[in-house]
Amino acid sequence: MTSLAKSVAAVFVGGVLGTSARLGLDYVIPHGDDDFPVSTLLINVVGSALLGLLVAGIGPDARGWLRAGLGPGLLGSFTTFSAVMVSLVSLTAGNQFGSALLYLVMSVMLGFAAALLGLRVGHRAVQRRGEQP
Amino acid sequence: MIGDGSMVLVAAAAVLCGGVASVLRYLVSVLLGGRGTLQWAVLVVNVVGSALGGAVLGLAESGVISTDLRLILLGGVAGGLTTFSTWSVETVELALTGKWFRSALNVGLNIVLGSLVATAAWLLVQ
Repeated sequence: MTSLAKSVAAVFVGGVLGTSARLGLDYVIPHGDDDFPVSTLLINVVGSALLGLLVAGIGPDARGWLRAGLGPGLLGSFTTFSAVMVSLVSLTAGNQFGSALLYLVMSVMLGFAAALLGLRVGHRAVQRRGEQP
Repeated sequence: MIGDGSMVLVAAAAVLCGGVASVLRYLVSVLLGGRGTLQWAVLVVNVVGSALGGAVLGLAESGVISTDLRLILLGGVAGGLTTFSTWSVETVELALTGKWFRSALNVGLNIVLGSLVATAAWLLVQ
């Protein structure tokens, strides 16, 4: 198999698993169209932290297909941008302007803070590995 | 209504669509990655997926499509196509390397265009 075909297969498997995890959490913590989407917020914050950790923490020697399967595949499909936008539309349509704004601000602030934390922790882990060969 | 089925089949269809949509997103990133000064790949999939999401929400609200089909299209296709984690990590990486303007632009473009097309698609299908 070529390296692109291997990566595509890994992304597909990761995508199926990540989507399953996201839909599973949505099922466990359900929310109506007019409710604050706690599950999506949790998913996007946790997924951002894990991707930061992966991007900074996995060595350049790691296999390309594994990196693709875990990053764009598993974590890319676990997190979602469209669900955030759809919730903004439905909350706004339901006159829940405060909730819509709070949801957007919390998603961005917590999601970006989580990504930063993941990148920092991953970077530090790589440095430590380098110091103790 | 279009699309009524058993729960297991619906869930299987949704996660398979999530896998296929992830592959599409990956191929877009392979094609557009490293081109130009903006993070085009994530912007393209997030805007297209948000438009699809707005349209599906509108069609489900007006009863044109079932809640099953809504789950497959919204949770599977649009959810798998778009990504929050790559967007947040790329934005933070831009900021960490001192590219503040591009970082802010990456935040603004995704949110403004994403919410704009989601709202427009939702209104169009009413």
